[in-house]
Amino acid sequence: MANEELIYRITRAIYDRLGSSANENTVEQLVTDIYRAVEPSVVNNGTRPSQATTSARGSFAEASTSEGSSNRIVISVFGVDHPGIVAGVAEILSDAQCSIIDINQTVVQGKFAMVIIADAARAQSSVADLKNRLRSEGEKLGVHIYAQREDLFYAMHRI
Amino acid sequence: MEYSQAEILQTVRMTEMEHLDIRTVTLGLSLRDCVTDSIETTAQRVREKIERVASRLVSTVDEIGDEIGIRVANKRIAVTPVSILTEGARGNPVDLGRAIDEAAGSVGVDFVGGYSALVHKGFTRNESEFLDSIPEALASTERLCSSINAATTRAGINMDAVARVGRLIKDAAERTRDRGGLACAKFVCFANAVEDNPFMAGAFHGIGEPEAVLNVGVSGPGVVNHAVQHAEKNLPLQELAELIKKLSFKLARAGELVGREAARRLDLPFGIIDLSLAPTPVPGDSVANIIEGMGFERAGTHGTTAALALLTDAVKRGGAMASNSVGGMSGAFIPVSEDAGMIEAARLGALSLEKLEAWTSVCSVGIDMVAVPGSTSAETIAAIIADEMAIGVMNNKTTAVRIIPVPGRDVGEMVEFGGLLGSSPIMALNPFSSDQFIRRGGRIPAPVQSLRN
Repeated sequence: MANEELIYRITRAIYDRLGSSANENTVEQLVTDIYRAVEPSVVNNGTRPSQATTSARGSFAEASTSEGSSNRIVISVFGVDHPGIVAGVAEILSDAQCSIIDINQTVVQGKFAMVIIADAARAQSSVADLKNRLRSEGEKLGVHIYAQREDLFYAMHRI
Repeated sequence: MEYSQAEILQTVRMTEMEHLDIRTVTLGLSLRDCVTDSIETTAQRVREKIERVASRLVSTVDEIGDEIGIRVANKRIAVTPVSILTEGARGNPVDLGRAIDEAAGSVGVDFVGGYSALVHKGFTRNESEFLDSIPEALASTERLCSSINAATTRAGINMDAVARVGRLIKDAAERTRDRGGLACAKFVCFANAVEDNPFMAGAFHGIGEPEAVLNVGVSGPGVVNHAVQHAEKNLPLQELAELIKKLSFKLARAGELVGREAARRLDLPFGIIDLSLAPTPVPGDSVANIIEGMGFERAGTHGTTAALALLTDAVKRGGAMASNSVGGMSGAFIPVSEDAGMIEAARLGALSLEKLEAWTSVCSVGIDMVAVPGSTSAETIAAIIADEMAIGVMNNKTTAVRIIPVPGRDVGEMVEFGGLLGSSPIMALNPFSSDQFIRRGGRIPAPVQSLRN
């Protein structure tokens, strides 16, 4: 799982140096290279800039799976497949400043199923607001959208 | 992905389709510091304290439930046994009951428990008067629940208390004649009552408890029912137990998550989670259906005591693994009127009062939400309670009776209590008298703790 905050900072630093006209692909490659280079030390030092309150738990790799995160939301979407479902859900997350950490989507015999893990640490709106918007979007798209906190899944499925 | 699609689907299915909910978050609150020598001023202080400590209870718990994505069905309060608060005070204890009821209403909880007395060995003068006030208190309030502890394994059974409880149940039924004797649905008589039980009607804040504490009652008969119904028909019983144990682990972990978060936000200590399977009248959310799913035509037939034993033990195992804070009753409740499967079994004659009594020896509490004919004598009700107390006392477990002699109704008729309390057929009783035994009064001595057979 990538360290969102760190990647964001690296990206900002590169754009600051090269200017906003820099080639997007080059920037992306640079970010990837730098992140890979610094990642081991980040993990070893247990530095977690985005989650300072939980830094005592140890390394990022451990902490991200140690108890689940109350900042992360698992969004499950089920229904009949049609164009625009992923876009609709992604747009709401983007509006709310939630980044998508992981996404898994399948269509089996016309049945659409998608699970998104989103980070709401920098979210502009409350979780309740976000859930309401997802709910009404679900009604509009004709699919069921459930949003639950990640720590619920951790509690139920990990010893 | 950190969780497999199957895991995510299972959680969504449990919470959205199988009625997995946190049945109750119950605030246990000591009112001992509110005591004065006048019930009127005690009532004022009690009202002020409940409104202050519980002001954010409902909104905070609802907010957490919504965020985490698991419904918290009920928010409740359990207070210090009221008989302790009225000791040595002038005035009518019912006034204090009404004040507690009103305060509970103003903070938005649906039930408040603790109009209670612990009289397993005997009564103080005040407790004796307090017992007489219970029917009026229950009939004149909406949310107030009452309980009596009439027996413990260490003290034996206070049969004077049991006899009086028989009479007070009749009185409470009569006072709420127009509502099917509803007041009795808010009264429980216990043996070995637990001090941290979050479930109504028997919740009270025990005297060994801290100032204030949050206890959580998890439920999920629907989840277990789904798994049992979908298990292979020839799955050996130890594997069925394993399946239930694993689910129970998940239920308990979800409950603890909600409870701890609520405690943190409300700045209260977290007490216990009680992982009893508590049915609701919703189809499928039924303990009887789980039993039937194990291979019975109807709940209540031969072999169902063994099935219930398997179920309660598996639930406890999973819960004990999931949390260090398991307490309360933790097992399976068998309230007839609140369980669609039980109602049906009772209606068909598969489930009798005698079988419910036998079940009591292997599950939490006992004869629960059972409707009997209104003509049942106080002595017969006391005798039913005495049997249950004996099972609890001899087997070192909690047992309880919540029985409703429905005025004007007879065997085979139905009574509707509404909401979570459901409806029930009036069940048949043994027609022969127990009067002389009950009238003897006195105390059944505490059992020998060795020579156990």
